[in-house]
Amino acid sequence: MIRALILVDNRLASGIALRYACRLANQTGMDLQTIYIEEAEREVRPPGTGWVKRTWEKGLLVSAGAEISRLIDEEKPTCPTLRKAKMVVGDRQMEILRELDEGSYDLFIEGTLYAFNPSNFQVNLEARLSGGFPCPILMVKNFVELKKAALLLEDTTDLWSLVPSFFKTLEGAHLEFDLLHVKFTKPGRLSFREDEGGVEAADGGEIDERIASARKMLAEAGWSPQGTGVLRGVPVGVADDLQDYSLVVACLPRQTAGKNAMLELLSRVPSAVLVCRQ
Amino acid sequence: MKILVAVDQNPYSAKTAKVVAELAANTWANVTILGVLPRRSPAGKLAASAEDWNMEHPLPRALLEYQKKFLSHFKKDACPYTQRNFGYQLIEVRKGVWEELYVAKSARKDLKARIRLGNPVNEILAEARQEEVDLIVMGCDHSEGCQWEELGGIPQKVVNAATCSVLVAKEEKEVNKIVCCLDHDLVSQQSLEMINQLVTLHQAKLEIIGLTEGRELKAEVERKMDTILRYYTARGLEPWIEIVELASLDAFISQEAQWGLMALWMGKRSMLEKVFPKAKVSRLIKGSEYSVLILR
Repeated sequence: MIRALILVDNRLASGIALRYACRLANQTGMDLQTIYIEEAEREVRPPGTGWVKRTWEKGLLVSAGAEISRLIDEEKPTCPTLRKAKMVVGDRQMEILRELDEGSYDLFIEGTLYAFNPSNFQVNLEARLSGGFPCPILMVKNFVELKKAALLLEDTTDLWSLVPSFFKTLEGAHLEFDLLHVKFTKPGRLSFREDEGGVEAADGGEIDERIASARKMLAEAGWSPQGTGVLRGVPVGVADDLQDYSLVVACLPRQTAGKNAMLELLSRVPSAVLVCRQ
Repeated sequence: MKILVAVDQNPYSAKTAKVVAELAANTWANVTILGVLPRRSPAGKLAASAEDWNMEHPLPRALLEYQKKFLSHFKKDACPYTQRNFGYQLIEVRKGVWEELYVAKSARKDLKARIRLGNPVNEILAEARQEEVDLIVMGCDHSEGCQWEELGGIPQKVVNAATCSVLVAKEEKEVNKIVCCLDHDLVSQQSLEMINQLVTLHQAKLEIIGLTEGRELKAEVERKMDTILRYYTARGLEPWIEIVELASLDAFISQEAQWGLMALWMGKRSMLEKVFPKAKVSRLIKGSEYSVLILR
C-alpha cells in the first residue's frame, strides 16, 4: 500500500488537496498521513529549551489544532485511510523532509491554487525539488474527478524515474492515460499535436523509440496508454493542449537551472501535477 | 425569475430567442420579448403611437416570429406559456357533490411580446425597471462589432446602465467554458444559480476566478470561494479555480474571453465595479466572440 504524506493547513488550497487525495485514496487504497506545520516567525526564537520550549510550541498549536481536526473529521467518513494530523512547530521545508525520511513515505501531497501568474507554484515546486524530497510530489491545484492522466516525456526524461513513479503511485486507480512526448519550441511557433505515426522524420525515429521504451515498461507493469502522441510548442501552448486532463505526470531535475520549460508547462496546467525527480 | 429579451429584426435576435427559450425551460421564468421602435418613422414623421407605424414594419412581424420560435422549443402539453383550454369540467364543490363548472385556466407562466416607442436604450431600461426584471438578454453580432442597426453600441449602453443582470448573447461559437469573475463576499445566490443554469445549458466547464490584490487570497475570500466550490460540487459540477491578481486582470480577461463565456459579478460595492470601468466592459462586449454576462 502506498503511504502518502499530505501537508494541511486552514487555507483553501489545502482543503482542495485533502479532498482530492481522499478521492485518490478511495481509488488506490492509499494510506494518508496528514501533517500541520506551524511556522514560528523567523525573528521569534523559542524561549529556552526542554519543557519551556515544548510548552511554547504547544501554545502555538492550540489555535490551529481545532480547525485542522475539524478539516480532517469532515473527510474521515468518506476516507477511511485518512489519519489524524501530526502537529509540528518549525521550518516547513525541514519538517516535511524530516517526516518523509522518518516515515518512509512513497508520495508527498500539497495543495496550491492554480494562478494566472504561475511564479508562486514554480518557486514552491523548485524549493521542494532542490530540498531533496525522497519521493514523488503531487501538487493539487483543483478538485476534479480523476478521469484521465497525461504522462509526459521529454528527450531528457529518465524513464526509469518517471514510469515506475507513475504506476506505483497510481496503482489500483484504473486510470485512463495518454503517453505524450513533448518537444518545446521557441516562442513564435505554433503548437500542434500529432497522432501516433505522424511524427516528423527528422527526430521521429528517436521519439518513436522513447515512446516504445516507455510503453514496454508500462506494459510490464500491466499498464497500457489509451493514446500516444507528440506535443510541440511553447509551454503555454502545450499547457492549453493539456486542459482536459485531470492529472499531468512528468519528471524534473533536482536543480532547474535557469528557465525550465517543463516547470513552466506544469505551472500553467490547471490540473494536479505529479512530479518525480530525476 | 423575470427575463426581458430585447430584440430587433436582425438574425442574432432570432438566435437570442432560442437561447432564452433554453434558459426558460430550465428556470420557468416569466419572459417578455421587447422591441423598440424609434419615434421618428422611416418617412421622417414623428410618431405619436404605434398606430402611426404601418404594421408592415418588420419589427412587429419579427416579434411574432420570435414568440413562435420561443414556444416551439417546448412540447405542447408541457409548455408553461400556452393558454390552457377553457370549458366545462366536473369539479367537486363539496364532499361527494360534483358540479359542472365553466373553467378558464391561464398559462402558468407569462410570455409577453411588447413594443415601445422611443430611444432603445432608455426604453429597454425603463421596461426592466418597471417590470422589475432579473435578467435582460440581448443578442448581437461579433463580426459587426456588437452594433444594433445604425444606432451603435446599444448592448454596451444597456449593460453599463442597467441595475439588473444582463446577458449579451453571441452565437458564433459553441460555449465550452464559462469563466466567472465573482466578488466572493457579495455575490448573490441568484447569480450563482444563474451560472449553474448556463453551465448546465451549455454542458460547459466552469471556471471560478478569485481576485487578489497580492499573491494570496484574503482568508474571508478563500472561505467564500470554498463555499461556492462546495455549492457547485454538490450540484454535480466540478469547477476549476484560478487566482488572478488585479494587476493582471485586463490581460486575463482579454485572454479568457477568446475561450468561453465570461461572467462578471459587478454588483454594488463589488471589487470589479471599481477596477473594471464601463469603457472596459464596453470593449469586452464589443471584442469578445463569446457571450458576456454581467451579474448584479
